[in-house]
Amino acid sequence: MTYAGQPQQGHTGKASAAPAAKPWVGSGGAARNYRWRELWLLLFPALFMLLGLIMLLLVNGQHIDLTAKKLPLLDAFTPVIGLLLALLGAHVALIFVAPDADETLLPIAGLLSSIGVLMALRLGPDLNQNTLGSKQLVFVIAGLALCVLTVWATRDLRWIRDYPYTWAIIGALLVAVTLAHAGSFNPSAPSRDVLSLGNGGLSFQPSEVFKICLVIFFAGYLSQNLTILSNGGYRLGPLTLPPVKNLAPLLVVLGMALLIVVFGRELGLAVLILGVFLAMLYAASGRLSYIVMLGGIFAVGAVVVFNIFSYARDRVSLITQAFDIHVYQGAPPLSSYQIVQGLVAFGSGGVFGQGLGLGHPTFVPASTTDYVAASFAEEFGFAGLLALIAIFMLLLYRGMRIAARSRDPFNQLLALGLTAVFGLQTVVILAGNLKLMPLTGVPLPFVAYGGSSLLANYIIIGLLLRLSREKA
Amino acid sequence: MDYQALLALRIGLVVVLYLAVLQVVFVARRELRHEVRAVAQGQTRVREVVGHLIVIDPGSAPLQNGAIYDIEPITTLGRAPTNSIPIDSGFVSADHARIIYRDGSLWVEDTQSRNGAFVDGHKVTTPVAVSPGSTLQIGDSRFKFTT
Repeated sequence: MTYAGQPQQGHTGKASAAPAAKPWVGSGGAARNYRWRELWLLLFPALFMLLGLIMLLLVNGQHIDLTAKKLPLLDAFTPVIGLLLALLGAHVALIFVAPDADETLLPIAGLLSSIGVLMALRLGPDLNQNTLGSKQLVFVIAGLALCVLTVWATRDLRWIRDYPYTWAIIGALLVAVTLAHAGSFNPSAPSRDVLSLGNGGLSFQPSEVFKICLVIFFAGYLSQNLTILSNGGYRLGPLTLPPVKNLAPLLVVLGMALLIVVFGRELGLAVLILGVFLAMLYAASGRLSYIVMLGGIFAVGAVVVFNIFSYARDRVSLITQAFDIHVYQGAPPLSSYQIVQGLVAFGSGGVFGQGLGLGHPTFVPASTTDYVAASFAEEFGFAGLLALIAIFMLLLYRGMRIAARSRDPFNQLLALGLTAVFGLQTVVILAGNLKLMPLTGVPLPFVAYGGSSLLANYIIIGLLLRLSREKA
Repeated sequence: MDYQALLALRIGLVVVLYLAVLQVVFVARRELRHEVRAVAQGQTRVREVVGHLIVIDPGSAPLQNGAIYDIEPITTLGRAPTNSIPIDSGFVSADHARIIYRDGSLWVEDTQSRNGAFVDGHKVTTPVAVSPGSTLQIGDSRFKFTT
């Protein structure tokens, strides 16, 4: 890739004449970076997976003599070999495609994925789905390939940056097709099933791609209107009102997104989109007053939604009356059984956990998807859960750092928005699992079972890797 | 035997997670230290100065007459505060023009500005090579190139 060694392309957005077709003084001839730190850090996902598999073998009663004569069967360790090879493959590909990209993102995503694959491997047999773990592993491998492909395809960011409305339309179409496909809503369906295409074995959730499209649109639009947003606005005494004319396209897209999502009964997704929008608007304008005003409008909207849609009320009453025996024993969509069982799972983990394969996480419904954090906490304990949260914090730190070090406003906003997607998803689902806020079907990034979410998350990692290459 | 192995594995799994966190933190710390050292040595970025631009007539923009700006291999001029040389005037487009160092000389390029950029009084349509002493007009602000 010749792009890597060249000086920065102009960041004015107008590409009338490519100024950097030839390298000039002092560039070129730099030694190739072999990303040794990344290679070292990639050891940990593999080590974690290996120990976890040995533990699962022991727990399942297979006697292992760790002597040279009776080594365990090789096929029992296929998952760790597969994961290691996939991670190494991505590592080698990145040496060639993006040698100067961030070296910690891939190991962090790999570690979270190894936790996810291990949990799927462990929970699958208990749920009579023996292939759950290998399916998740295949998704991880496909995700890593997609990640490298994203880094390669976005070496010139202009096709992403310059057409924000196209991305908004693609996102809207994706969700519209899904809604049309879903037809009339099944009021008793769990919320996560509404925005998904296909049925049975392989289904696809466009809402995952929708998120990325929206973030690209916000970043593109906001960076094109940066000056007006930070300097413009109507003055009304001490207050500065946002420049409504310039915010209008943004608010229209945001409103449409929220309408689709609210009618699709994906409240978690609505919270996510709103949070990401507010974070990006604040980063772009630097005006706390905009956020306070829009936040107020959204609060009013939330009250309206709460009063109009019974399912929103139900979600709240489920956590306020979770321990009421009638609510606990209610019919599935209106039952707090899952929430209470989840809390019991968190509690029975104690400080150091039951040990992998020794707990009973399947007592919680959706133990591999929405409640994977509870399953993890039951078997790895409070100590393990803290480590998991620390890993997510590192992921957010790296993302924010990439945003802070980018030089182009679009790159900064895109990195910030994508990082906010990870952060808000993690907070919304963990808080939901811990009964701190109404439970919504948002997957825990990389850990929850599910192909669409995993692939989308790896696309985000690919974009962040790409954005980390242009430093201030 | 199995009980002890299970206990060791149980602890080992959590320990591996913390080790991984620590290792990433170490990598991040090393990077930060490297940057702090670079800042201390005044090497925040390898800034290549290829010339200077002197304000000879600020016009309606809040520029200092006689102020000297560094010209880097890519220098952007315009009303947006993100430009290398921001010129806050109503006659100047957000992205107005840029100066490029290439093949040993400086080139001025108009980036589709509304009111145009002028080198020695001539409107810039295609990139124009400039030499020390040339004047540049952006909006109603005028500059002079020096080495």
